[in-house]
Amino acid sequence: MLRNDEGLFSIDFLVGFTIFMVALIAVASMVPGLLAGLQSSGIDYDAVAYRTGVILAEDPGWPVDPPWEAYDVNHSGEIERTGLAVSKDAPNILLSTKIEKFFDTSFFDPEDYRSKAIFGDITYSYNITLRSLDGRYNHAVGQETPEGYGYIRRVVKIKEPSVAVINGSFKDRYTISPDDNSTTRTFIVRFDFNRLINLSIDPAYRIDPRTEPVNITITDFEKFLNGTASEATLKSVTFRRGSSSIPFPYDEDDTDYYTLRIDNNPVLYPPEPGVGVSSNISLVLKPAATSLFELGPTSILDVEFNFEDKPPDTNITGIHYYDYNPTNVTRPDLKPAVLEVAIW
Amino acid sequence: MVNDSGQLYTMEGIAAGLVMLLTAYLILSTTSIYTPGDTHIPDMQLEQLGSDVLAMMDTPDSDGGENHLVNLINRSDRDGFNSTFLKYCNARTNGDPDTIHMSASVAYRDGDRIEEHQLVKPDETWTGRESAVRVTRWVQLDQQSTRGDPYGSRAQAVLVEVLLWRA
Amino acid sequence: MACMNEDGQWIVLMGLLVAVGLFFLALIINQSALVGQTTVEGVLEFPKNDIRDLREVIFDYVDKYGNTGGSAANNVRDDIIAISLDRKNAVVDFTVKDPVDISGQRAYPVEIHYNNGVTVYDETIYHY
Repeated sequence: MLRNDEGLFSIDFLVGFTIFMVALIAVASMVPGLLAGLQSSGIDYDAVAYRTGVILAEDPGWPVDPPWEAYDVNHSGEIERTGLAVSKDAPNILLSTKIEKFFDTSFFDPEDYRSKAIFGDITYSYNITLRSLDGRYNHAVGQETPEGYGYIRRVVKIKEPSVAVINGSFKDRYTISPDDNSTTRTFIVRFDFNRLINLSIDPAYRIDPRTEPVNITITDFEKFLNGTASEATLKSVTFRRGSSSIPFPYDEDDTDYYTLRIDNNPVLYPPEPGVGVSSNISLVLKPAATSLFELGPTSILDVEFNFEDKPPDTNITGIHYYDYNPTNVTRPDLKPAVLEVAIW
Repeated sequence: MVNDSGQLYTMEGIAAGLVMLLTAYLILSTTSIYTPGDTHIPDMQLEQLGSDVLAMMDTPDSDGGENHLVNLINRSDRDGFNSTFLKYCNARTNGDPDTIHMSASVAYRDGDRIEEHQLVKPDETWTGRESAVRVTRWVQLDQQSTRGDPYGSRAQAVLVEVLLWRA
Repeated sequence: MACMNEDGQWIVLMGLLVAVGLFFLALIINQSALVGQTTVEGVLEFPKNDIRDLREVIFDYVDKYGNTGGSAANNVRDDIIAISLDRKNAVVDFTVKDPVDISGQRAYPVEIHYNNGVTVYDETIYHY
């Protein structure tokens, strides 16, 4: 029989063929998705490095109040972002306590850096370095950089906490008057938050004890001693908010909350040291403790140094205001620094 | 009268054609995925760096202290501006300093016209280099009778424009 | 050999054309998976540093002149608006209102408007 090989289609063949073609096109259009996924991990290293640079240089981190660097090992899971900036209104100004905490590899492990600073689904390798131009800060974390990597460099300035130095030049102001017969000697350093939390001062220069440590250093103590006494006994350091006293249940091991040093001794003292002071006292009060004092923008925090000797061995008295007066408080200059982030 | 006995040949031909086309497509598409945007990454890095440097020059180190950027513009100190800017720009955390060059100009308003005053001229690496990036910063100048050309003595806001390139 | 039957060539040729057309379309769909604005272009396009800088110069203006106006203040304001338009290709406007007292500190309400053709930024903020 003569086969007729004309290429004519029948209708039901067309229908079947159409369904087949539609299915084939749908499958073919999914193929690029398979191939694109394999090649995208190398493209966004620079973008991830840029994002990490922004988080470190322009973001104060989260939580902000109390600040994340005040959290101890038990609560490190609550830290969501480790930003180094002083506040979100002062980009590129970093706080030195945040820097010290961020580069503390005994507190953060590589998984923490990935989840709190770098983010992303892929396990990136990283190298984050910070160096101040005068060399005082020189920190690095992460592995050695390979040949090709994503990179960003930021120029920043580092803010260090303020210090109130009460030295011999204050002798006349803080000495008890000769006709005063009282036997207790109390020296108060007053934090008046009405003066301190002044929003017209840029956050790069502002003193906020709730977010950064404050340092009270009394030197030349021999000038404040009474007559022939060689030392005066520091009975206790107490804290008051307005008229009510604040409980301070920490001891010398709680270095995250405060440190108290007396007379250049390397040991740390509890808040009730009961030891003699002959040359200097240095108290650093950290935000981990201050944030628990429930202080607001109108509070007044008094730090009292109570000396008790019978008869009194020191003549120190008075109230020293921790404010923006440069003779009362020294605010260190901002230090320029370079921050580099490498991601691969 | 339609006879569908030739359908098998046609189907076979079309299936073979599709297989060949699909193979050709797979081969071509795996090699031709290109990634637009790689060209702009160095621009972004340079721009962020330049903006940072100008911002840090504009920040006094202490409350009420000297603002380097304002002073340099007031005095039209081209060498000071050049050296300060490059000092911040080329600093690295380890290894050799970077090799970024710059030129700067200041835009100011004179009546109805906007004029441009060249502060730092580009150096000899102006040609044969990577693409340059422009970063800007506003500077407020106070009323100062001793300040002469070109800004004049009145209090005004000027725009500092810096071109950076890597050479 | 009998003469070749050339019937149906048109249909097969059309089929080939359709197949080539499908091939071309599939390639376009493949490339479209990567088309779109890349991250870096998005970063470059958003004027983060320009807006921050503009806010700081406006706050400097408020620190110096408040809302009192006067010829010096108007000169500076005209500087900012004219230079922004000419050099930064951005339409900028700002107004400073009378100061208000917020929990003991005096603040000026400032309204800032910025438009560079791609990004529009409007803000009302109290500057202390």
